[in-house]
Amino acid sequence: MQDQASIVASLNSTWFASGLEPETQTRLAELARTYHAEPGQELLREGDPSDLFGVVIRGRIALRTLVPERGEITILTIEPGDVFGWSTVVPPYRSTSTAVAIEPTDAIVFEAAGIRAALRTDCRLAVALYPRIMLAVSRRLNATRHQLLDLFAAEEVRSW
Amino acid sequence: MVMASPARGPRARPEGPAFLGRADLQALLDLLREDGRTLIGPTLDAGAIVYDEITGVEDLPRGWADEQGPGRYRIHDRQDDRLFGYVVGPTSWKKWTFPSLVPLTSATRDGHKVGFEPVPLDPPRLAFLGVRACELAALGVQDRVLTAGPFVDPDYAARRANVLVVAVQCTTAATTCFCTSMGTGPEVESGHDLALTELDGGFLVDAGSPAGRAILERLPLRPATAVEQYGAAATVAAVRAGIGDPVPAAGLHDRLLAQLDSPRWLEIAERCILCGNCTLACPTCFCTSTTQATDLSGTTAMMSRTWDSCFSPGFAKVAGGSFRSRHRDRYRQWLTHKFATWWDQFGESGCTGCGRCVTWCPVGIDVREELNAIAPARPPAAETALVEPAAPSPTEFVTAHVTGTKAETGDTVTLTLESDHPALGRGGPGQFAMVELPGFPPLPISISRYLPGGLELTIRGAGAATRALGKLQAKDEIGLRGPLGSSWPLDRAIGRDLVIVTGGIGLAPLRPLIQAIIAERRRYGDVRLYYGARTPADLLYRGELERWKSASIEVALTVDRAGPEWLGPVGVVTNLFDQATWDGSGMVAFVCGPERMMQATVSTLAGRGIPASRIYVTLERHMECGIGLCGHCQMGKYFICRDGPVFSMAQLGDIFGREGI
Amino acid sequence: MKHGPVAARPRVGVVKFASCDGCQLTLLDLEDELLSVVEHFDIIDFPEATSARSPGPYDILFVEGSVSEPAHLERIVELRRRSRFLVTIGACATAGGIQALRNWGDHDAFRASVYANPEFIHSLATSTPIAEHVPVDAELRGCPIDPDQLVELLTALNTGRRPQLRDEAVCMECKRRGVVCVMVSGGIPCLGQVTQTGCGAICPRFGRGCYGCFGPRERANAAGLSRHLQLAGDRPREEVGRLFAGFTAYSEPFRSMVTELGGARQAGRESGVEAAPTGGSDARH
Repeated sequence: MQDQASIVASLNSTWFASGLEPETQTRLAELARTYHAEPGQELLREGDPSDLFGVVIRGRIALRTLVPERGEITILTIEPGDVFGWSTVVPPYRSTSTAVAIEPTDAIVFEAAGIRAALRTDCRLAVALYPRIMLAVSRRLNATRHQLLDLFAAEEVRSW
Repeated sequence: MVMASPARGPRARPEGPAFLGRADLQALLDLLREDGRTLIGPTLDAGAIVYDEITGVEDLPRGWADEQGPGRYRIHDRQDDRLFGYVVGPTSWKKWTFPSLVPLTSATRDGHKVGFEPVPLDPPRLAFLGVRACELAALGVQDRVLTAGPFVDPDYAARRANVLVVAVQCTTAATTCFCTSMGTGPEVESGHDLALTELDGGFLVDAGSPAGRAILERLPLRPATAVEQYGAAATVAAVRAGIGDPVPAAGLHDRLLAQLDSPRWLEIAERCILCGNCTLACPTCFCTSTTQATDLSGTTAMMSRTWDSCFSPGFAKVAGGSFRSRHRDRYRQWLTHKFATWWDQFGESGCTGCGRCVTWCPVGIDVREELNAIAPARPPAAETALVEPAAPSPTEFVTAHVTGTKAETGDTVTLTLESDHPALGRGGPGQFAMVELPGFPPLPISISRYLPGGLELTIRGAGAATRALGKLQAKDEIGLRGPLGSSWPLDRAIGRDLVIVTGGIGLAPLRPLIQAIIAERRRYGDVRLYYGARTPADLLYRGELERWKSASIEVALTVDRAGPEWLGPVGVVTNLFDQATWDGSGMVAFVCGPERMMQATVSTLAGRGIPASRIYVTLERHMECGIGLCGHCQMGKYFICRDGPVFSMAQLGDIFGREGI
Repeated sequence: MKHGPVAARPRVGVVKFASCDGCQLTLLDLEDELLSVVEHFDIIDFPEATSARSPGPYDILFVEGSVSEPAHLERIVELRRRSRFLVTIGACATAGGIQALRNWGDHDAFRASVYANPEFIHSLATSTPIAEHVPVDAELRGCPIDPDQLVELLTALNTGRRPQLRDEAVCMECKRRGVVCVMVSGGIPCLGQVTQTGCGAICPRFGRGCYGCFGPRERANAAGLSRHLQLAGDRPREEVGRLFAGFTAYSEPFRSMVTELGGARQAGRESGVEAAPTGGSDARH
């Protein structure tokens, strides 16, 4: 059982989990544990059942996807304060990309079964967390849209 | 410029008006021709009364009248001998003061060297006979646009100075006239050398300038009788009463600009064919493009200026597409420019109420009707350039030669250029230059560095012209005009923390800013640079980024996607700071990148507390001249080349990111 | 000194499909520029002008004419394969030509009414532009093409710049030249407003309305024009439809106007041929 106070302090340092009510913070801390990943360590694999949901405190995680003939492409990085593994709490609970630490990374993680059960039964926790999960996902979606627009692409000029 | 004054009427003339007998009109025409002037006046052609070269009274449309309505023009016999018994036809006097095709500059390219020779001005000496009050006002409007500064069109100025104007008082009006509403007529008040009012026996004559008075002295005149004077005044008053006030103009500027989202624009778009007739028939429209006529090898080119229109498809086109592709936006641009933002730019209305656009619209769209349906009941201080630019005229370019080239990325090259013209190396950060390679259209390129005796341009090969620039080698020459436009207001950032956000090639105009900050680092607070590119290989100035870090500039980079070897952030540039802990309320922000990226950035920065007056962006539009004379780069009331390209968000307000403005 | 993207002296071919030859003749009619053209371009195959033959490969291939018979289908694909730059010239190649009016008619009925043994006449039910069969790199419109535009295209190919082919209405050209609008001052229907310029406004200069031989321009509001012609001129629908049923009838949006308003049928009936409203079989399918 890790030090609850230090977990709460770490959560407070992130935009995702700061400013919550003390009761909610305590509840979250009960479900949480610290997690460390070395560079190259894989946290989630694309397509596999997703069992980790966490917040990065320090370091960087790359989200990668495999494109046949082009290899692994990094499509997004998770920076301190941001969440990874949101598909752990959203059906069908499968990872949408592969997550690999690319720096020594410290995170606070929530085990799948525990956090899913808590969000189903503890209304106050759900009311506090789901908007923040939505914000994280919407930020991701917005970023993806911009990347799709490929705004920096050179003009394709082949014919007149 | 004819001032708006609704209560105009006949004036007593202290020295008494003179009278010229009908039979003596030829004497006036002969006098003008003896003075070495070619006479341009009304005459019949192809079922219309047009302006063309004439020699005598017999060329005038004696006994003809016109009947005009939306999309309709017919002439018929008046059953009398009046020589000026009609109003304006399809041609306007701009056919001679601002011809549809004017050669500007002959350019050559020989090996490395380029040469530019402005075509010498050779304006013909002309006399315009039959200029109406609305047309006098139109000449005044174009005088204001093209010669009142800060940059002057030399060809227009020369032609205009060689014209003698014989105005004619309107004794009739068409149903399409609305000079009364625009405050330009029907009375001839100023701007003429001579003015004639036709009566049955002859003409009341009035001089409006020393040149006019000198001519009067050589004509067989007698004093006009009281009956003749009263008759003339009564005729003009009847014309005024007949026209009425079709377009209530008071407050039209604000009313129209408040209706940018009116559903009527969409309804007009179903009728408007975007043919451009209105803009070319209009006597005040001044938008032009340059064409390049070259021989097959492209080594000699004649660059000419030709009438263009904001309705034409390529008018607002840049490398990423067109800023004004939708039908409804082009009509809206024309109407709001002519009746509203022209006031902001030039201090008067762009429309003189001549009605040509109503008559000569083939599908009969009537601007008066549209204005009354859409909006029923200040010029911005021209941004003075930091230095007087080199080649500040549409016909000139100064030559610079390449002393170094550097491939920054797969498609982007930085050219180092030297030139004899000191102005080029002394501009401000954020200014741009018009770059001309003979045979290719002129392009606006941001200056990415200033050097003693020269500058650097970082150019992304996005089309044929930019690719050709990218292929230049040492000793190759190009033509430049600049530095032009407004620059990043670094003085607003003294003592403050700065945020610089950019993407792709957008770092190029910000690089001189960063270099200026580093040169006096202690005058500024924390400086944070957030820079995004497509892939790691597309990051510009990679060597310099490290140097900037060591000058205590915080540099955060991100890319849209990367392979496994990239260990930095991947994602949009706003992700780098949208959850940052700094408080923006005292900061200044400078933003440059694709417009969509800038919009997202500005909104995020505002969310972090930076006020609109301290968020600066730089805009890009299609430019042909770079000095506010061709009309292409307009956005609302601004000319991007002259009032920008750097703007604060407070200046732009909600026209930033607005479709089709 | 050359700065162009193609080879030092590009190999040029000129080929013909279903057409009248007028566009090829425009190349030969470039009296002042012909020597310069031949100096910069190596014309390896141009049956109209020289007996020299070459199957390619071509750096630049000018294609005149529409795809109108079964043999054309394979031939154009083969030519495309052998060409770096394929340029279509003229209304037939860019729009299907006047012969595309048969696309609205009953092709078999036409054949049977003219020829005693129609089985010997190999033609497709439709006449289609080249671009419907292979990708096209550039096009010069017109019937025939304009010599100045041809020289501009050749210069652009030689120097590497984008050719200055303005996509604006004929109206702009009329106004620049001071031609009085035939529609406004004479009530003559004119397609110039929806037609791409390039011809120098030649028809209005002689007092007749434009019949659209350069084809529809970008964002041509043909529907708006057709409504105006019907209402303001008090004309029946089919008469307005006939205006669009010309040399570039098969290009959108002229095509939709003809289909909706019935211009081609009217033309067919007037020539005395009985044509059924639905199209005939197409050997391609």
